[in-house]
Amino acid sequence: MSAPAAMASPVRHSRFAMWRRQHAWCLRDSLRQLVRRPFGTALTIVVMGLALALPLAFYLLLVNVQHLATALGDSQSVNVFLKTDVAADGAQKLAATLRARADIATVTVRTPQQGLQELAAMQGFGDAIRSLPDNPLPFVLLVEPDAGANRAQVETLVAAIRALPGVDLVQDNGQWRARLDALIAVGQRVTLLLAVLLGAAAVLVIGNTVRLDIRSRANEIFVQQLIGASAAFVRRPYLYEGAWYGLAAGLVAVLLVLLLEAVLAAPVRDLVASYTGRLHFGGLSWATLGIGWAIALVLGWLGALIASSRHLLYPRT
Amino acid sequence: MIRFDSVSKRYPEGREALIDVSFKVEAGEMLFVTGHSGAGKTTLLKLIAMIERPSGGAIEVHGRDLARVRRRGIPRLRREIGMVFQDHRLLMDRSVADNVALPLLIAGIPHEERGKRVRGALEKVGLAGRGKDAPSGLSTGEQQRVGIARAIVTRPALIIADEPTGNLDPQLSEEIMQLFVSLRQTGSTILIASHDLALLKRMKQRVVVLDHGHLIDDVPGSEVA
Repeated sequence: MSAPAAMASPVRHSRFAMWRRQHAWCLRDSLRQLVRRPFGTALTIVVMGLALALPLAFYLLLVNVQHLATALGDSQSVNVFLKTDVAADGAQKLAATLRARADIATVTVRTPQQGLQELAAMQGFGDAIRSLPDNPLPFVLLVEPDAGANRAQVETLVAAIRALPGVDLVQDNGQWRARLDALIAVGQRVTLLLAVLLGAAAVLVIGNTVRLDIRSRANEIFVQQLIGASAAFVRRPYLYEGAWYGLAAGLVAVLLVLLLEAVLAAPVRDLVASYTGRLHFGGLSWATLGIGWAIALVLGWLGALIASSRHLLYPRT
Repeated sequence: MIRFDSVSKRYPEGREALIDVSFKVEAGEMLFVTGHSGAGKTTLLKLIAMIERPSGGAIEVHGRDLARVRRRGIPRLRREIGMVFQDHRLLMDRSVADNVALPLLIAGIPHEERGKRVRGALEKVGLAGRGKDAPSGLSTGEQQRVGIARAIVTRPALIIADEPTGNLDPQLSEEIMQLFVSLRQTGSTILIASHDLALLKRMKQRVVVLDHGHLIDDVPGSEVA
């Protein structure tokens, strides 16, 4: 051995190169530690993956409800169903009365024949319609309120139409749309709340796993500290461990959501097609799945950061 | 290299481990610290490695006043010291080579140079070709040699050892001590805490004697009998 050169040797290497080498080693070492206990590692990953898949699945549901709302449009239209004894001239008179109002933009008269044709065009209704002895549908007036009308004005208009003679039923589509929007807003809150709660649960799961790992490797940590490892060096493998957990759990969550999409796509598509024929079941975009995966990685790292901050023993002096 | 100037250490529970201890160790010197159990030997080594801070007095290592070393500077100081422990403190889930390489990893030494230095250190302690072995497959004496290889692999200017032969039989103890003597010949300063008086007499090196925290004797190597 040459003369003692402890102080000189490391100086030959740039700080960045040293940092890079230490990170590369920590990355490999943390992975090696996880592979050494496959069952425990797999269990933690699956638990965290399930926790993260749930909010993603809710988000998938929400996205499809939003598709439905988009397909329905922003219309505040009002459907006026006339009594079955109102004939064509009666329907036209009522339409003319409504067109005279300033708060109405357009009125379209839909005949019972047109209604029957629309129904027959829908999936599954053809045979039932053909079996009817006569047309049971009434005349319907499709009323489009003035574009500038607010919700209160539309409700006033609906009340006025409802009071007209010959009117059987008034369907306020805007009110239904407002309810759907409110439901979507509730769904968004629930999804966000669920994501926060399950995200916190994932952080706690990883934090606890890393805490146990720190305990089981107390001797190694002590030796590292005694032979000159910095606090960052000692902590680094645990941060990587958390990130590995997050990465793997994120992948599990994404795969679960893709599986869910694949399983539900066909039956949901059939369901929505039977109602409107113009909706589609949409999966989450790759960007959304990628963001979910990245969040999982960050949560794993965060859990490890919290655990290592609380439980790593730094030099006492 | 090392200077203790009226150093005292009182633990929080009130026990005085060191009282007004002063001595100096020159670069390249080999020094034994001896005394009965509880005399303060381990505390003295802990103060050098900054595992503990003194209650009074001043300590200088490599010309650096340890009182001025902040908490963040402790790892750097420890990287300049090779430490050997009585119970080896090896990582049993890693190979011999991985154990020896640990201080080099901490120092950020490149892979190729690491391998070269680990092989060199293992050769130095008589364990050439045993790098891939698991520490659990080695004898106690061999495990201690691995501990010494880990301490010298960074080529530190100062090596401190706390009862390095405490768990070994007389023949193995002699071999380990001879290993330390050979390390001294490369220029390292070596400080060893040991209570084995018979062994110290055979080594013929300077001995500092502690008793209940007091330094009661400082015997040059030529006068050890």
